[in-house]
Amino acid sequence: MSSHHKSDIEIQQELQLIAAAKENPARFGLLYDKYYKSIFVFIHRRTDDEELTADITSQVFLKALINIKKYEYKGVPFSAWLFRIAFNEINMYFRKNNAQRVVSLSQNGMVQIAQEAELDENAEGINQMMIAVKQLDALELQLIELRFFEKNSFAEVGEIVGITENNAKVKVYRILDKLKKVLSKK
Amino acid sequence: MSDLKFNIDKPDLPDEQINKHKDFKKLIYNYQTATKPLYKTPLYKNKKVFIVILLILLVMFVIIEAMEKEEGSDPAKIEQTK
Repeated sequence: MSSHHKSDIEIQQELQLIAAAKENPARFGLLYDKYYKSIFVFIHRRTDDEELTADITSQVFLKALINIKKYEYKGVPFSAWLFRIAFNEINMYFRKNNAQRVVSLSQNGMVQIAQEAELDENAEGINQMMIAVKQLDALELQLIELRFFEKNSFAEVGEIVGITENNAKVKVYRILDKLKKVLSKK
Repeated sequence: MSDLKFNIDKPDLPDEQINKHKDFKKLIYNYQTATKPLYKTPLYKNKKVFIVILLILLVMFVIIEAMEKEEGSDPAKIEQTK
């Protein structure tokens, strides 16, 4: 999901697509094609169930299409708005069904966390961090996933979770501090 | 933490598998169904509305019946009619 860091031209082109879709829902197709895969992957990483992912993805695009007239560009890409809908749909599913949440981690993401928190980047350090990350609560893990495993900017993390960019930054750094403390006890 | 499952370095699904779920026509159909005004939907096709109207009619019928019975058994009114 590397929809961020778009050029001004790309943003303008996308805004034109959005304006067209606001006028005529049938023209939402280009945006649907463009983001279907990234939304599907985003949901699948959190559910690990293909059929469920397909259902939630179709709900996300339906809600996006119904609400596209309300969409306003606020400095973050359209994709962040879609990811926010997806994030809410996933959370709603887990709340309603009391199902097991899935967290997708990667070695690369762990290295990034280690760099950001100034911790050991060697294999042993990464293994320790993997254990420490598993002790975080669901919301903390969601923030870590968005920032380090899916490489979103703080502005996008904020948009997706429904908090301000600054708040997202503060929360992520608090989590890194928490990880440092957990690791320093070992 | 038993309510969480961790996947580590699990690859994403291949594109073909993702794309087989893609269906823009279905999305547009669902959109039209979801945004169709209620007054344009025949009552028998909307179960909830149909049941609510049926219940209202039933309650009205029961109230009218009860009122008619009450009127019929009211001795003062019977006197008056004589």
